[in-house]
Amino acid sequence: MVTTSPNIKLMAHLLRRAGFGSTKEQLDEYLSVGYEKVVDGLIDDLDSSRINDALVRRYFPDQSVTHDTSGAGSYWLYRLVSTDSPLREKIALFWHNVFATGYTKVTNGKPMSDQLRMFRSHGLGKLDELLLKLSKDPAMIIWLDNVDNHDGAINENYGRELLELFSMGVGNYSEDDIKECSRAFTGWSIANSDYIKELAIRNSIMPYGKLAWRYEYKEDDHDDGEKTFLGRKGNFNGEEIIKIICEQPATARFISRHLYHFFVADEPPVPSWPYKDPQDMGAISILEKAYFDSGYDIGEMIRVLFKSDFFKSETCHYKKIKSPAELAGNVLRTTEEFGTPNIRISERNSQVTFMGQQLLNPPSVEGWHQGLEWIETGSLTERVNFASQHLGDLSKPGVRKIVGNVIAQAGDSMSAEECVDQCLSQLGAIQTSDYIHNTLIEFAEENGISDIDFLKDKNTAAQKISEVMSVVASVPEFQQS
Amino acid sequence: MTTTQTKSAFLKYSHTIGICVMDGRGFMFPVDTAIGKEGRMHTVSRAYVPATAQLRITMYDIDSEYFGIYGGYGEGLGEFRWPTGMAADAEGNVYVSDEQNNRINIFSHEGDPIKHWGAAGTNEGQLMGPSGIAFDNEQNLVVADHLNNRIQKFSKDGTFIMSFGNSGEGDLKMPWGVCVGEDNSVYVADWANDRIAKYDSSGSFLRAFGTSGSGDGEFKNPSGVAVDGEGYIYVTDWGNERLVILDKDGNFIETLRGQATISKWADEYFEGNYEEAEPRSRSNLEPDAGQFGGDPHEESAHIEKFFWGPTSVKIDDSGRIYVTESNRHRVQIYKRTR
Repeated sequence: MVTTSPNIKLMAHLLRRAGFGSTKEQLDEYLSVGYEKVVDGLIDDLDSSRINDALVRRYFPDQSVTHDTSGAGSYWLYRLVSTDSPLREKIALFWHNVFATGYTKVTNGKPMSDQLRMFRSHGLGKLDELLLKLSKDPAMIIWLDNVDNHDGAINENYGRELLELFSMGVGNYSEDDIKECSRAFTGWSIANSDYIKELAIRNSIMPYGKLAWRYEYKEDDHDDGEKTFLGRKGNFNGEEIIKIICEQPATARFISRHLYHFFVADEPPVPSWPYKDPQDMGAISILEKAYFDSGYDIGEMIRVLFKSDFFKSETCHYKKIKSPAELAGNVLRTTEEFGTPNIRISERNSQVTFMGQQLLNPPSVEGWHQGLEWIETGSLTERVNFASQHLGDLSKPGVRKIVGNVIAQAGDSMSAEECVDQCLSQLGAIQTSDYIHNTLIEFAEENGISDIDFLKDKNTAAQKISEVMSVVASVPEFQQS
Repeated sequence: MTTTQTKSAFLKYSHTIGICVMDGRGFMFPVDTAIGKEGRMHTVSRAYVPATAQLRITMYDIDSEYFGIYGGYGEGLGEFRWPTGMAADAEGNVYVSDEQNNRINIFSHEGDPIKHWGAAGTNEGQLMGPSGIAFDNEQNLVVADHLNNRIQKFSKDGTFIMSFGNSGEGDLKMPWGVCVGEDNSVYVADWANDRIAKYDSSGSFLRAFGTSGSGDGEFKNPSGVAVDGEGYIYVTDWGNERLVILDKDGNFIETLRGQATISKWADEYFEGNYEEAEPRSRSNLEPDAGQFGGDPHEESAHIEKFFWGPTSVKIDDSGRIYVTESNRHRVQIYKRTR
């Protein structure tokens, strides 16, 4: 097996976690910049609007309006596969899973897309500002019923989940805190709420398509009385509640653990966190410190995370299982199928759903349980087929480019091992176990790679290499991150 | 800064036709309207990929009388995948461009499929994403061949006549809508160049109107263009979500953001759906545009009467102006006041 330098392994690891993987070409480009600068560049890249929205909207009016999950999901997938600001999309995926909001109840794609746009813009900023945006987010207001949270008649749904799932975690507050928190968010509503609720119930598109939603503070429906929250007393409104939440060590722990879970290594599902300690308490402590030192800044926490020894350690490489969206992002960025928007993006979005993740429609307010829960019999078959089918398809420009690069290394011949190593390298310096490596070599040998005259029969060479690529895409390490 | 003028001195709002429905009477992401024989209007709904059954052409008239639908998703006779532009010839036959199948479909006045022609490619006479279409005064079809960045002219049966618009000052970039003036000159909504380009009947570039921006006389991704008998130019300034009117010399006349009201079809819907009509009557669907950060897309998303996704503008024989809005599933109709 070709020995890959630690620098290459580390950069490839970063690009899998902070983005959607890389080809050798992209990896070389990042290596020339250097690890620390690449990390800073990914976090400090504030331009979240690099996608040519006009182009998407011209071809797909449904993605312009995003009135349902198909248009909104396809639009997001297009962003995942075409952005040159991958951490922005990655952080949107992160918050989409933590602040899980689902189309099934919202029944309108535009507020869902608006929420994701907010995650892109504010997801790497301060947690208190993000929670404030979240509390005013129309999709969230409908999803967790804050539209029904009234002065004198509270609905606890948002107040409860804000504490339980969005900031502190179970065991760090009382039932009374939930009630007081909910009182503070009374009047945080949406404009035209009666009409929108009726349209949502009926899933109505009439008369002129679904309505866009906007936040509205209803002062006369806000309970301005004194509240006691986490031991503090005051006439709190939502802003003060969020400030108090963000000051809590439990919030620092909860957010740190989520970031570790998403970017470093799979933790157990969130509901078990009150009963199971983090697997790496040292790492969590470092992130908690970064949380307070930076004034609750998520981007700064991630900067510390990516530059830490616990992230760089090879013991956590390939320890995460890619979500279907991450896998599709990796594959479709490599195949370059969507250089410009085209009609197939909707089909690819459906394939992500078949792999177990319908974008904009998490299974519950807990989001998707990650890790091994992505893998079950049906979804594994879909994942392997998806990656193999696309990465073995010579009609895709990115595949042709990679195959051409492998052929260029061959001279007049290439051994099976050289071919496998080249394919692994071209797909982003993938490191496999010896067993997998030997199995791939066996396949390449049986496929006749070493019998081909690369100078005389480039077409056969290209076909055979693409078949090796197809098998490489099915190995565990490609499905992992 | 986006102009939000809605009172018009040059154009007067008449009425709106349309409703968003999945089948039958109404539209689903309509992109163009052809005005055919005897005042019959044909509006093509592009729909979207998982809902291909909703793709159709709807026939109706100025009084919202509905005559049925035709066409559908596919590659066979009378089918299309990404319909974009429409035009009616002198006999009332309706031509529809298809950006995915790279061809032109022809239907009778009644919607019966007649034939289709066109082949994918970059050579002269081949098409890559045919968008806007219009007939010239000799009944030849002008086609915005948008991914080949040019205009091509064909006879009605698809015989190639000429191509132009891909060199020099008149070099087009992803053109969308086209129209033909009384002197057979060709006007092109030069989408990615943010301008209207004008050519003579032999394809020689004459001049361009507008520059990039959102001020008076500026455009952002114009989608459609129409010219009336006096040479006034009407542009659906798609990226700015507005209709812009210029005089024949390109001088700015006015901008409209849209004044849609409830259509007859929508009115009938509300008559039978009090549960929606009642809370709607208490809603504010014209919020202050200032809260949307100057983004015309968001302003139009929230202000229901505004144009949202105005993809085409057409003029009928009596001078009425028709603006098809893909994102609002309707057609707004205006008349000149002078």
